[in-house]
Amino acid sequence: MVKEIQNKANEILQNTFASERKFSLDKVGEPILWANGPKDALHLIKKFQDHIDLKIDFLSDLTAYDNTDKKDGEGRFVVVIQLLSMQTFIRIRLKVLLKANEEMETLTNIWPAANWLEREVFDMYGIIFAGHPNLKRILMDERFHGHPLRKEYPYKQREPFSDNTKINLSNSTRGSSSHE
Amino acid sequence: MNNLNDNFPSDYVDLTDKIDQTKQGNDFYNPNVLINLGPSHPAMHGTLRVMCRVNGETIEDAKCEIGYLHRAIEKLGEVKTYHQWIVYTDRLNYCSALNNNVAYVMAVENVMNITVTERCMWIRVICMELARIIDHIICVAINALDMGAMTVFWLFYHWREEAYTMIESMCGMRLTTSYARIGGMMYDFPDDLIPRLKKFVENFPKAIDEIEGLLTSNRIWIDRTKGVGKLSAAEAIKYGLTGPCLRASGVNVDLRRDRPYYTYSELDFDVVVASGGDVYDRYLVRMEEIRQSVRILKQCILRLPNGPLWVDDKRVRIPDKIDVYTKMEVLIHHFKIFMEGINVPPGEAYTCVEGPNGELGFYIVSRGGPKAWRMRVKSPSFMLFQHFEKSILKEKIPDAVSILGSVNVIAGELDR
Amino acid sequence: MSKDGSSMVYPTLLNHAAKWARKNSLWPMPYGTSCCGIELMSTLSSTYDLARFGAEVVRFSPRQCDMLIVAGTITTKMGPVLRTIYDQMLEPKWVIAMGACSSSGGIFDTYSVLQGIDEIMPVDVYVPGCPPIPEGLIHAILHLQKVIDQGLPRNTAEKPSYDEAINAMTYKKYVGPKSQYVVTESGVLPNR
Repeated sequence: MVKEIQNKANEILQNTFASERKFSLDKVGEPILWANGPKDALHLIKKFQDHIDLKIDFLSDLTAYDNTDKKDGEGRFVVVIQLLSMQTFIRIRLKVLLKANEEMETLTNIWPAANWLEREVFDMYGIIFAGHPNLKRILMDERFHGHPLRKEYPYKQREPFSDNTKINLSNSTRGSSSHE
Repeated sequence: MNNLNDNFPSDYVDLTDKIDQTKQGNDFYNPNVLINLGPSHPAMHGTLRVMCRVNGETIEDAKCEIGYLHRAIEKLGEVKTYHQWIVYTDRLNYCSALNNNVAYVMAVENVMNITVTERCMWIRVICMELARIIDHIICVAINALDMGAMTVFWLFYHWREEAYTMIESMCGMRLTTSYARIGGMMYDFPDDLIPRLKKFVENFPKAIDEIEGLLTSNRIWIDRTKGVGKLSAAEAIKYGLTGPCLRASGVNVDLRRDRPYYTYSELDFDVVVASGGDVYDRYLVRMEEIRQSVRILKQCILRLPNGPLWVDDKRVRIPDKIDVYTKMEVLIHHFKIFMEGINVPPGEAYTCVEGPNGELGFYIVSRGGPKAWRMRVKSPSFMLFQHFEKSILKEKIPDAVSILGSVNVIAGELDR
Repeated sequence: MSKDGSSMVYPTLLNHAAKWARKNSLWPMPYGTSCCGIELMSTLSSTYDLARFGAEVVRFSPRQCDMLIVAGTITTKMGPVLRTIYDQMLEPKWVIAMGACSSSGGIFDTYSVLQGIDEIMPVDVYVPGCPPIPEGLIHAILHLQKVIDQGLPRNTAEKPSYDEAINAMTYKKYVGPKSQYVVTESGVLPNR
């Protein structure tokens, strides 16, 4: 039952939105739609909210991943937005390909749930969300430098938090950039 | 008050010069006091920090800070193989570790397009419902303990120990079980588990009745929890809440019924929905969900089929020990599975289950190979705690404590 | 004290009495951060009652406790908080590192986890397990009682100074596998 509704939604997506955008299905049959940029993503979300068959009204997850091997295109990061409808229970995954210093649009005006999710993406990857009310680090300490989930950050490398932070940092060899 | 250190939120406004100047700038009359319900606090809720600006006893503004238990589990997902990461899933929502194990293993199987056997599905449903029962027990017991009802804590915890004994006989460990494997489970059920489960589901409802008799119509409990932390349905959806908190606000959504996985479509259970959205309703929803889980367990015990536990897929099936010790190819196969890891084809999938706390999701991006490219855990406590900041405005401090107890924030899941 | 001023009997007995009193009334300061905290709660509850060993009063104020049970993973963000709590406790105080994470970092050898709380404070008893079962924790407390009884010196780990402890969010020189990628001006390149 759910599969049929999801398949119908996939068809709607493919017919209406996939003409200028990449569309594919993932391993369980849920649709992945690639938006053509941050503003296009917002535009698509509004369309999904108003669409009579899709009725998307719930933000499940907002995350990102690194695209250093360029398998998803020429950008550096991919922001992934998982959407769910509380009425038809279909899922849609929206992806946005970003270049290294490109800014993404915030979703906090549509769903306040995106507030901390975007802060976490900023903390872990360094992606800036334009228009976010409070873009600070959330999981790491505020004095931390570097963005841990990037592929070039070694998983064991620790960061000194003492008062002589400046002294220690000049001796360190790290390749990550910081947005502090 | 004037020696601000960096424990204060950065947008803290120093109101000392805005107060009545006839008091000579005396801080004593400043109505706004910053209270830090710090990371070490007298409630066993895990390490979270709530900085509240209070006026008397009413909270005017609150900011929550998390990250005190950030253990880089998602980063470890890119470093460890899929099997090695099963251990880390226990430590996410450590009150209901079995649920996380099963959810993660389901996610990997979805990426690999593996369907497990019947017996494995029913065993996994039993595990998930048992995990739901013990998580709800902890939530209600700690909620009551915070408000002074220690008897509930002692009484309810005994049943948690009963469940722990059963889980220990299943997989050897009480809390951090690591019971599920990709394609099957670690061990099959021991022979005495089903009789034990039967006794458990027979005797446990009496305990639930006892606890409900202590709390549900208790005047003190009702006064302390009714009307506290009201949450409307629209706000719950906008803030991304799921689980008992969402259902207590009147939204009739349960992923077990609406997007069923495993054998939930064949099981007969009710989805518990309340209408108020306050702490009392969340308590009622949780107690009734415990009853529904017991109902599901009764059906599972009757319908548990015999048969193979492991799926017959060469990619994931860990061979039996007797073959490993006697046949050469099986030994090499076993070696390859554990030393190199299983080979997951490129692809991605977002799998979520209805955990005790809400929608627990695993988003796995695989570029082929034994290690994931991105392992994302969508934790329900994250969204719940985000809303907590807003829900304690205009409440008194003790009410904030009861709201925190009802929201069931697990720090391991929050910070990952 | 006898007439000639010699006082052999009373101080020795007082010493024993003090040791007996201290070891049988260890008031714990439970510092439960993660999974070990749940097993700590199990130990404190009715099935494995810790109160029968004197640890009845679980008051969450460090000034009133003399045994700090660190149960759970301590991250670099949490370290200063833990150190503050330790400093607030009054002498004599003992520290139990419960579980693998607080003993040595456990399974989390990552960028944000302290590899053992003995980086920032001296520890008396280490309890292995992930999490240790309640009997394990009770065994540790009984062992601690024996340690108190024998009057052994309290620090079993090298006691760091205050500055070292605060600086211990800790720049261990990174020795390990290099990352696969390196970021240069021309983009992210594989690290050769």
